[in-house]
Amino acid sequence: MNRQTQDYPALFLRELSVVYHGRLALEQATLALDGPALVAIVGPNGAGKSTLLKAALGLIPYTGQVRVLGQPIDAVRSRIGYIPQRGSVDWDFPVSVLDVALMGTYGRLGWFRRPGRSEYHLARECLRRVGLEELENRQIGQLSGGQQQRVFLARALAQQADLYFIDEPMAGVDAATEATLFEVLQELRDQGKTLFVVHHDLRSVPEHFDQVILLNRRVLAVGPVATTFTADRLQEAYGGRVLALHEGMLTP
Amino acid sequence: MRRQTATIAGRIAWALLAGLLLLSGCAEPVDPEPALQGGQPWSVAQPFAGTPPIRVVCTTGMLADLARNLGGERLQVTALMGEGVDPHLYKVSPGDVAKLDAADLVLFNGLHLEGKLGELFKRLARRKPAYALAESLPAERLLGLEGAPDPHVWFDVSLWRDLADRLCELLVAFDPAGAAEYRQRHAAYAARLDDLHAWVQQEIASIPAPRRVLVTAHDAFRYFGRAYGIEVRGIQGISTESEAGLKEINQLVDFLVERQIKAVFVESSVSTRNVQAIREGCQARGHPIVLGGELFSDALGPADRPEGTYEGMVRHNVRTIVEALR
Amino acid sequence: MIPYNTMVVLGGVALLGAAAGPIGALAVLRRRALVGDALAHASLPGLCVAFWLVGERFLPALLLGALVSGLLGVGVLAWLAKATRIKEDAALGVVLSVFFGLGVVLVGILQKRPGNKAGLDTFLFGKAAGLQWLDLLFLAGLALVGLTLVVALFKEFQTLGFDRDFAAAQGWPVARLDLLLLALIAVLVVVGLPAVGVVLVAALLITPAATARLWTQRLHRLLLLSAIVGALTGAGGAWLSSMIPHAPTGAVIVLVGAAFFLLSAALRGASWR
Repeated sequence: MNRQTQDYPALFLRELSVVYHGRLALEQATLALDGPALVAIVGPNGAGKSTLLKAALGLIPYTGQVRVLGQPIDAVRSRIGYIPQRGSVDWDFPVSVLDVALMGTYGRLGWFRRPGRSEYHLARECLRRVGLEELENRQIGQLSGGQQQRVFLARALAQQADLYFIDEPMAGVDAATEATLFEVLQELRDQGKTLFVVHHDLRSVPEHFDQVILLNRRVLAVGPVATTFTADRLQEAYGGRVLALHEGMLTP
Repeated sequence: MRRQTATIAGRIAWALLAGLLLLSGCAEPVDPEPALQGGQPWSVAQPFAGTPPIRVVCTTGMLADLARNLGGERLQVTALMGEGVDPHLYKVSPGDVAKLDAADLVLFNGLHLEGKLGELFKRLARRKPAYALAESLPAERLLGLEGAPDPHVWFDVSLWRDLADRLCELLVAFDPAGAAEYRQRHAAYAARLDDLHAWVQQEIASIPAPRRVLVTAHDAFRYFGRAYGIEVRGIQGISTESEAGLKEINQLVDFLVERQIKAVFVESSVSTRNVQAIREGCQARGHPIVLGGELFSDALGPADRPEGTYEGMVRHNVRTIVEALR
Repeated sequence: MIPYNTMVVLGGVALLGAAAGPIGALAVLRRRALVGDALAHASLPGLCVAFWLVGERFLPALLLGALVSGLLGVGVLAWLAKATRIKEDAALGVVLSVFFGLGVVLVGILQKRPGNKAGLDTFLFGKAAGLQWLDLLFLAGLALVGLTLVVALFKEFQTLGFDRDFAAAQGWPVARLDLLLLALIAVLVVVGLPAVGVVLVAALLITPAATARLWTQRLHRLLLLSAIVGALTGAGGAWLSSMIPHAPTGAVIVLVGAAFFLLSAALRGASWR
């Protein structure tokens, strides 16, 4: 019995709008989605996908209302995990793979306390889960793209959150890593967590995800993949460009 | 002895000058470069032809004081550097440049005392009467250090008196109309300087010989030491531009402790940091020293106090030194 | 038997170096290395105002004035970055030139006024040779506070430096942490002024950190090594200057720091990674 099949949605947005550099990046986004679920957020470039995550996390200013796990974000931060896009990281920073995984535990430690034996143990467990236990002392910048993404997942796992926001985890990642990542994400969903994943590769959506949010500055559709991830909805979201990509994978 | 030599030299110079005036020589500004012309007559391109008061601009307060004493009402004297200003580091402001442009006569010490103004005065001398007074002193009267002459000539009252003689000659050459007044005022002032010199000699002699050591922030008092028989040591060197390193501070602490010297002196225009550090060093070796008091070294005191004049400054310095060391 | 004065100077600049090392390392990692330089220059007007108000050579008051002025510079810098489109390096340039220019004007004005002005010019290159017991205590206090903060907030600075968005999402007040780091840099710069002066204090922030970076890939080792290199730089420079006549201690310290860096670069290869 998990906490999420309850009377509040995992994510609730009402008329969420974000203005970014003078233009409307996100317009009156409204949705309510229950967990547990593995949710794909898809849409064309500039659709506001990352923006939606950042607004939900309170990292950028917005208008409208956001409730995560039924509460304002500040009240539940210790229960939220976040994997940002790879671009925002300083790859030259002197940290090892283990250091990064350990960062996941910092939120719960609070000010001034240092990570102890149980935190190190947890971090190593998470690294094992993503298959990186051999590389724990490598400097983060020396890893391949796929390996770096796995470290971030390990860090997210170490957060032991109930809900995850994940921004383009499969970007620039090899097939083996992608398989591992999906494995872990699905495990988490099976454990009763809800995961919101900004995803760019439409082909892999039906196979791995339960729910989908179709976004193009406005929320165009929300719901189970089976019913929502259809040709005409995609048409609406992407315009004519998308038709060629979807032969053979659309639901009848 | 030295005074007599100076007086004779002065008289010879006087005679030569009178002769030259009669001959009306050509105009050639005195070159402020340290090619010393000690003992040679002034060359004045064009005597002052306006109505007094003559606008005189001096660099240091000491020179201004001297000019006022010799010139009286015929001169309107201003000094660029006020109390506490360090002439070695001083740079002119636009206001100063305006004053210099408006001046009829510019007087500076020379011998690189005004360390940052060398170029300025070279240019100024080409278009205006500008004279380096200390450079007119005979070379053998000057002290040297590592090839360059020591510019702090005002600390030997008898040498300053010689300078007064030379300034009088200059004023007479520059403003012949006022010659009588200048000579009269000079005679009176020179007598006072002579008295002052004698008084200083007496005072310093009253300090017991082993204790006659003057330690100050920078080497400004060498003429004083020579004239009055007192050993001088400065922490910084001749100019405040040169840095006192840790080595110098250690050496001085050693010196003070070995010679058992009771007091060191700060100066009005130099930072006390080094002096304080030396005090602590001596304290740590079980030989506490006192700050003997503040001395006026490169500048006069406040204008409204006795120390604002040359005589007052000298008396203040001597009293301070004697009190602390005796 | 080391002379007392050498010991005081050695101790003082060693402590200064020990604090400057890790704080400088964090500054370099956060791309704020030049802020220290800008701050040093921005402190000049505050120095002059304090000099004019309190007069003379009362060091704590002068440093307070420098600090206020420097922090004002920090504030303007932060505001410029947040409220306008000006990029950080341009904002740095603005703050540096305006404040320092104002300072130079004030120095010129103060030179003219009656009263004792001696000592203002020592802030350009420092007078480490004249360091006294009280200065040493002051530096010890600063070093202690600075190092304590760096150690206590290690994981916070680590997370912030590596992945700012993640840190913010975890709930850390990233803007305030950045501001705290800037404040640490400001305080360090100001206290370093009497020792090495406006022009050279930035070198003390940057060089030990750059040297340490050539030897390690882990943050905690980097900070520790920076502290050690910083302390050795200060101590070595002080000791060396006690052997050379008329040596400006501040400059010798910086040269020792540079020597450490060049030696490390030669031994380890000059790549940053």
